[in-house]
Amino acid sequence: MKKLILLLLPLLSSCALIDAYTTAHFNINEYQHIVDVRTTARTGVTVCKDQIKASALAIVIAEKTQMLMIYEEHLPSNKDSFKAATALNDIAQGLVKRYSNPPVPETFCKIKFEGIDNAAGVVQHVIGNRPY
Amino acid sequence: MTLDEINQALAKLANSGDETFAHAATYVSQLIQQVQTSQLSAEDMAELLRDMERQMEIIQDAGQLKLKQDMNAIIKGVFTLASIIY
Repeated sequence: MKKLILLLLPLLSSCALIDAYTTAHFNINEYQHIVDVRTTARTGVTVCKDQIKASALAIVIAEKTQMLMIYEEHLPSNKDSFKAATALNDIAQGLVKRYSNPPVPETFCKIKFEGIDNAAGVVQHVIGNRPY
Repeated sequence: MTLDEINQALAKLANSGDETFAHAATYVSQLIQQVQTSQLSAEDMAELLRDMERQMEIIQDAGQLKLKQDMNAIIKGVFTLASIIY
């Protein structure tokens, strides 16, 4: 039994090494992107009464979520983050699409921006808790 | 699901002790209220519910899977109810 354990030890440590290599680590750029999206979303909530400002901010936030999605796409071991960024981008693109058919109710605008803030908050929580 | 059942399920999620789902439950409750008071159209509500589904996709934590299932059931219930009413 002892021999078996001794034989398996290098294999087990290799698995740990592979796991450490393939697990996504904290990435400051990724974190900054998500903070940027959340900040813009919170500003968005405050300008919903003004259709022109809100529409412009919808385009800005959609560009930011698209940028995040593109950034995440080819990072190694990053499938879940890419999926989350894609979902976030879909939410933001929906807002831009809605502004192409005005008028947009203030309530819809607020809920949309709040939704982006919430979704981005979940992503921020996940990426913020990753190991260095 | 009736509207009462949806509201009960939302209240249960709001008191689940999970911050994310408590927030999501409040969000859906507010959404229903906005539609009831005609501040939102059925189309806009459908878009916002789809957003909630997208938000559920983001949640991958195994400890939250049951709450995620409950929320998806609520969303489906609201969709069905809205399609009957509007």
